[in-house]
Amino acid sequence: MTKYVKYVDVTKCDGCRACMVACKNWNDLPAEPTEFLGSVQSHVKTTADTWNVLQYIEHENGKGDLEYLFRHSSCFHCTDAACEKVCPENAISYTKYGSVVIDQDKCVGCGYCVQNCPFEVISLKEYKDKNGKEYRKAHKCTMCTDRIDEGLQPACVTTCHTGAMEFGNREVMIQKAEKRVKEIQGRYPNAMVYNPEGVGGTHTVYVLAEKPSVYGLPENPKVPTSAVAWKDYAQPIGKMMLGATTMALVGAFVTNKLFNKEGKGLDENGGGSDE
Amino acid sequence: MTNHWNDLQHTDCALIIGANPAENHPISFRWLTKAKENGGKIVSVDPRYTRTSAQADVYAPLRSGTDIPFIGGMINYALENNLIHKEYVANYTNAAFIVKEGFDFNDGLFSGYDEDTRTYDKTKWAIETTEDGKPVKDATLTHPRSVFQLMKKHYSRYDIKTVTAVTGTPKEDYLKVCETFCATGKVGKAGTILYAMGTTQHTVGSQNVRIYAMLQLLLGNIGLPGGGINAMRGESNVQGSTDFGLLFDNLTGYLGAPKATVPEHATLKGFLEKETPVTGYWSNKPKFVVSLLKAWYGKNATKDNEFGYQFLPKGNKNYSHINLFNAMYKGELDGTFLFGTNPVVGGPNAGKEKEALGKLKWLVAIDLWETETSAFWQKEAGSNPAEINTEVFLLPASASFEKEGSVSNSSRWMQYRWKAIDSRGEARPDLDVIHELALKLKKLYTGSTKSADKPFLALDWNYGSGDEPDIDLVCKEINGYDLKTGKLIAGFGALLDDGTTSSGNWIYSGFYPEEGKNFAKRRDNKDTGNANYLNWSFAWPANRRILYNRASADPSGRPWSKEKEVIHWDAAQKLWVGNDVPDFKPIVSPTEPGGANPFIMNKDGVSLLFAPTLNDGPFPEHYEPFESPVPNAFSNQQLNPAVVIIEGDFNKKGTKKNFPIVATTYRVSEHWQSGSMTRNQEWLSELAGHMFVELSEELAKEKGIKNKDKIIISSARGKIKAYAMVTKRFKPYNVNGKKVHQIGMPWHFGFKGFATGDTANRLTPHIGDANTMIPEYKAFLCDIRRAD
Repeated sequence: MTKYVKYVDVTKCDGCRACMVACKNWNDLPAEPTEFLGSVQSHVKTTADTWNVLQYIEHENGKGDLEYLFRHSSCFHCTDAACEKVCPENAISYTKYGSVVIDQDKCVGCGYCVQNCPFEVISLKEYKDKNGKEYRKAHKCTMCTDRIDEGLQPACVTTCHTGAMEFGNREVMIQKAEKRVKEIQGRYPNAMVYNPEGVGGTHTVYVLAEKPSVYGLPENPKVPTSAVAWKDYAQPIGKMMLGATTMALVGAFVTNKLFNKEGKGLDENGGGSDE
Repeated sequence: MTNHWNDLQHTDCALIIGANPAENHPISFRWLTKAKENGGKIVSVDPRYTRTSAQADVYAPLRSGTDIPFIGGMINYALENNLIHKEYVANYTNAAFIVKEGFDFNDGLFSGYDEDTRTYDKTKWAIETTEDGKPVKDATLTHPRSVFQLMKKHYSRYDIKTVTAVTGTPKEDYLKVCETFCATGKVGKAGTILYAMGTTQHTVGSQNVRIYAMLQLLLGNIGLPGGGINAMRGESNVQGSTDFGLLFDNLTGYLGAPKATVPEHATLKGFLEKETPVTGYWSNKPKFVVSLLKAWYGKNATKDNEFGYQFLPKGNKNYSHINLFNAMYKGELDGTFLFGTNPVVGGPNAGKEKEALGKLKWLVAIDLWETETSAFWQKEAGSNPAEINTEVFLLPASASFEKEGSVSNSSRWMQYRWKAIDSRGEARPDLDVIHELALKLKKLYTGSTKSADKPFLALDWNYGSGDEPDIDLVCKEINGYDLKTGKLIAGFGALLDDGTTSSGNWIYSGFYPEEGKNFAKRRDNKDTGNANYLNWSFAWPANRRILYNRASADPSGRPWSKEKEVIHWDAAQKLWVGNDVPDFKPIVSPTEPGGANPFIMNKDGVSLLFAPTLNDGPFPEHYEPFESPVPNAFSNQQLNPAVVIIEGDFNKKGTKKNFPIVATTYRVSEHWQSGSMTRNQEWLSELAGHMFVELSEELAKEKGIKNKDKIIISSARGKIKAYAMVTKRFKPYNVNGKKVHQIGMPWHFGFKGFATGDTANRLTPHIGDANTMIPEYKAFLCDIRRAD
């Protein structure tokens, strides 16, 4: 089966945010009014109801020149996805296209995926059932897998008017990205293809104008070895021995203690100017 | 636009000034991105580093209100460095014309100025003519009174040092702009200038556009693919609205409206004699005027009654937005109809405009939502309903996808649209509202002998028998008929001045030349050559996509270059042929009289570097905005000497002592105009939900303001509250050695809808351009402080 990639060339993006509206429109997501963030950026990062966020970054480059950088940020659809590995319910899976999706019927809202995503693109949403009982579900970009099934492209790609986003065969898109980086290195000496190996490569591949850290992205994201251990060893054994509920508690312990994940990878300022 | 959106891909350099298309006309970047891929450059000139600047190869800041120095300096640079397209200038402009003796320019004033009336006697700016009325020329361009030499002298004052001291642009940035854009003066290259309201909304707005056109003419950039002077219109159909005479001093198709103050306008004969030039395409004006009168008054327009000319209102005042609201404020108006307009957010000095509405007896608002304007009397507007006696009617209107009709875009393309869904509730299209109103008023006035009612009764209102007008009949009336045969007319070339033809808008005549052939409905997306897509919709006039395209060829009819070819003279066929409809009589050979005169709308067939037509001078000259923190460095005339100044309450003026900071307004991608449509959309309100003011880190530091603080912005007209957005993208200017700060803010916000906030136009002045009266929204003085 062909693996697909969403190609994002941030240097062609003009920050219009049509991708954000197209996503909400197709996926029927509600508006989520936010506080003023001190920049044009609307949301600090993706949330359960906002699956892609346009980042706006004022960056002074090595020469002291101001660069106004934009990035369409959403799920990377990793080839080795930490979220998939830590999910105790097998609610997260890879599709035949390479996208990573959450089965809402199986999701129990434990939040391990949220804590383990190296890009912090998954969020929990709280619901109440008709008896008033609260429950949670994890949400993120689906790469519009339902559209791909119908021969369409992701809604954000279809709406992008500058050609900053394209969707196609993985190899073709990666070649395109590599070629594009060469074209723009004159203006952006730090330009690079962001397709990190530590997660086996991704199905959202970026042409970045600057180093990943400028965008608040990890330079070398990895699937934590503990997550690998969890998925590939502990979970199957544990399930046999303890049953699912107890296992979820163990999972929380594993996540919090073993992964020791407290630092935030993404810029909390939500772009904007330095304060 | 002289050119069109798709054509932007052909440019070698786009100079974007007074506009921010990446944010406000985003689709343009589909084509500008292609231009970049083809090796084209983008130059962004803006007071603030915008998302357009981020996409540009060169960025230069300028202080708001200094476009004329900026471009004047580029003209000087092009002349001094010999970068102009000389052959083009000598043949296709009036550079060689000799200006009559007596013309003078002294300390900011041209000859013929009357200080009491603040007007010029334009006859003092005349061109010398031979006995038979032809202009006297000096082909060598060396005569001291030639337009070329006068222009050269005028702009020699705009040297780089003076210019950058006024605009606040760093010299190296300025030189980079000059170098990059003036390189398009070379044959085989074309540069385009893209502009919008940042250019026009100034007391020198018309002259700002004029000076762009002058630079383009000097570089030989008009009439070529990838060239031109291109206004990006701010609304989907604002091109259509001006084409159809919605400006107060226009009939349709840019035919000037008759005035009671001009004695010759008392009769049709006098009007036509006065307003029709002897030569050039406008010599056909009587055909367009009479055909228009026939379209409006039908059988009631006869040779004996001057084709109904006396039914036309002949005003004796300036009926611009600014003056109407001033009159309203003084209680001179009883009522008003506001179709999709929201002056309580969008009007200059909006707080006073809101007060003015309260002096009306009645107000009819036709809109999609209750706006700040139809709700001006409510408590949330800061009004006391008990004190307001205005009776307000709110009629729900249909949105664009709920009705059939056309919109004309910036490319001059009239594109037909069909209804997608039914209107909700009682909402109706504007056309239906006007139709029913006209029928009811006609009924009401039946039998009346009052002279005021006569024009209304004389109107030929035949758009079918139902309550809803037959829109196809409206389309046909616009195109026009041969009244002898009753058939649709082929185009404006067939219009006559004897009452045997009709056309509701001559520039659109030809879009519907035969039954069943409404060209606005065409959707053939096959490229007919050079991305002109001649079979997609209809571009006025006569489906031409690039105006003045005769200028893409040299006087002998050969294209200046293969790269920028549009049309050429085919001697074998004895015809102008190419990838566009010739903007020229296609059978006139280059050697025939007028055969080398591309600017057919002008009397002498050439474009005007010296234009004795505008109210404020034949050459654009720099004057500071109504409110400015610095004295005019170019002369002792601080303010444009020809602007109308409304005195008193409505237009208080701030000084730099109390208001030292320059301010401007703009739009964001997510909101449209006064926000009445977009602030009622949740997904858009979510993305741009807060009223903010952008200011530099330096100014924030001086004022003790931190990012995200609430601040108060005040001007002589009012004060508002907003969030501070402290940004590296604004920097203080060095204006003549002094630090000048500028801030900017969106003007979309009001108290209705999902995204609410204070209205920027509470701060803006009530003064307009000397020619159009467009308000000076883009440069005024203010002060800021922390709110708590």
